[in-house]
This record gives sequence, structure tokens and C-alpha cells, in this order.
Amino acid sequence: MTVQCELCPKMCLIEPGQSGECRVRVNIDGVLRTVVYGYPCSIHDDPIEKKPLFHFLPASRILSIATAGCNLHCLNCQNWEISQANPEDTPAYYCPPEKLVQIAKQKNYQSIAYTYTEPIIYYEYTYDTAKLAREANIRSVLVTAGYINKEPWKKLLEVVDAANIDLKGMTEEFYRKVCSATLRPVQEAMVIAKASGILVEVTNLIIPTLNDKPEEIRQLCRWVKVNLGGETPLHFSRFFPQYKMRHLPPTSLKMLDMAHDIAAEEGLDFVYIGNIQSERGENTYCPGCKKLLIERIGYTITQNRLKEGCCPYCGKEIYGVWK
Amino acid sequence: MTRRKFIQVLLGIGSAIVIGACWLVKKAAPRKFVRAARLKKYPGSVRTLPGTYNQSEWSG
Repeated sequence: MTVQCELCPKMCLIEPGQSGECRVRVNIDGVLRTVVYGYPCSIHDDPIEKKPLFHFLPASRILSIATAGCNLHCLNCQNWEISQANPEDTPAYYCPPEKLVQIAKQKNYQSIAYTYTEPIIYYEYTYDTAKLAREANIRSVLVTAGYINKEPWKKLLEVVDAANIDLKGMTEEFYRKVCSATLRPVQEAMVIAKASGILVEVTNLIIPTLNDKPEEIRQLCRWVKVNLGGETPLHFSRFFPQYKMRHLPPTSLKMLDMAHDIAAEEGLDFVYIGNIQSERGENTYCPGCKKLLIERIGYTITQNRLKEGCCPYCGKEIYGVWK
Repeated sequence: MTRRKFIQVLLGIGSAIVIGACWLVKKAAPRKFVRAARLKKYPGSVRTLPGTYNQSEWSG
């Protein structure tokens, strides 16, 4: 019997013995099963700034996991060796939710990140772990493309604390041709996430010739400001030739600077440049008095002047979860 | 048409309307998301958990 997976907007109809587009949700004897539950292929210790999350527990280390598979097939994927791989070909660890939370507790992590590939496709593992983690006072962070249906998304947001969501472009054509997805559900997921009260940061990877037009970047900034709020941190990330896009050059610093300028003109309070060293794009400045609040070099915080989440000079409250 | 025949036709039409309405209500109601069941055995190879964890080279 064919089953339909209702997790993401692809709504895959899966024949017996086959998997959905994500490769990890499988029809076995007429029952939809997740084959990666409790089997992460990567477990690492990262600085939280690497996610990137700049407004959530700065300078903390985060236990970071991923399983094989992804519901998107971005031609530029930087982690394609695991995101576009079958679980059969990807060695994994046995680490059920209880074990993962136990490791986090033992090693004094404040938070767990579901990252590298797409936490949405290992939904049940993410949800159960995040729920257990919350009971143990450990927070949960998603690094996601946000391509998920509303009902499972709202349920998942009840147990997570922060998310960095990719807004990969501002046209349906870009999403269709480059990511094998659609834009609208991603925008809806972002709005729902922000409205749920979790901390949201947004990442836009600028790919030369594909989504680097100034008017498209301006449109993206406006959309973030209107729909998520000007306080939402926006990270412009540098593209490197990867996977099926090795023919394109890396994004220039000039282009990233231009995007930074546009975002500032559009009234976004916290704009960052990632995947490249840039003093201007790594630090946090007070949107009120413009003074330096957090100084970063790479993933390292060299100064944090915030006092109780506020600017020490003008007292403005700064968007974020600071402790 | 006899009275018996008329009642039979009326019941037939009534039943069809009720069945149609039920079908419509079922279709219109929001579909409840159903979690995927867990598969106990991983299809690939399983490694032993490391004791320490390093910074990842993966993006994110």
C-alpha cells in the first residue's frame, strides 16, 4: 500500500520499499518509518557562533548532530556528502534521545543543535530529543531550511528554543531550480517561528549570478523587516564553489559589503557577514547609540559589553537570549 | 409511481446526500500529521560512539 508523508510540502507518495525524496522516510509494509531515528552520522562540539547564532548564549559550545538525508537538493550544498547520501551508505552512531541528552548533561552543554543536514527530515528524533532536553534544562537549536508543513512545524517549535532559518533567495524560480523546493512555505515557516516566540536568526547565502542582484537583496531585507521585524539578525554568507556549482566563483567581499549596506539602509538592526573574516560584519553594534556591544573574530568573542541583555551605554534592550 | 417506490427513491436520494456530506466534511477537515514509526535497525553500518567530540568541518 502506498503511503503519503505529510511532513514537508513535497507530500511524497511513497511506494512499498521506497523512500521519500529525503531518503530517510521509508514505506515498509504500508507503514511510514523513519530509518535514522537515534542514528546520527555526525556528533560534534561547535561554537554556537558557527551555526550561525550570534544572539543566543554567545561564546557557548553546542553539541551538534545530524543524520543522513535532506528534503532539499541544493546544487550548492556544502554538506552534500551527508545531506545527499542514503543512510545505507552513511555510517552512523547509535545514540537515542536519552543517550544524547545524557551526553549533553555529562559534558555540561547548555544546548543541542540539530544541524549540518536538515533536522526536519529526522523530525521524530529531533522532537523527542528536544523534549527530553528541555526537561533536563538543555536548550535546542535548529539550523534549517524551514521547508516543512505548518502542523508538524508548530508542534516542533513547542520544544525548541532557537532557530537559524535559511532564506535562500527571493524568487520561486531560484528555489525551484537551485534547491528543488518552493519559497512560499519557507516564508510561512519563518513567520510562524518568529510568532511562536523562539529566537530566530536568518541566513542568506549569496551565490554570484544567481541571487546577488541588489534589488533581490533589498527585497529580501524588506521582507525580513516587515514579516519578522527589524530586530531579527540577518547573516549574509559567502558562497564557495561546491557540489554541482563548482563553476561559479566565491562571493566577493565587495558583494557581501554591498548586501550589508542594503540591509542597513532597509532598517535591519543586526546584519552580519559570514564565511569570511570581516570586522564590520562580525560585530554586534547597538541599534540605538551605534556603539560596539559584542566583538568577534571568527567564532571567538573577544569582548561582550552587554549588561543583562541591554546596551551599557544607552540601556537599549538587545534582541536575544543572553543567558 | 407507487407510494412504496416513491419512498425508496426518497431514501436513496437522502442516503446519497448524507454520504456526500460526510465525505465533504472528512475532506475539508485539516489532516492530522502522523509521525513516522521508528525503525529499530539502521540500514547502514553502526559505529561506536566516541568519548570526545571535536569541532565539525561541516557547515552549520
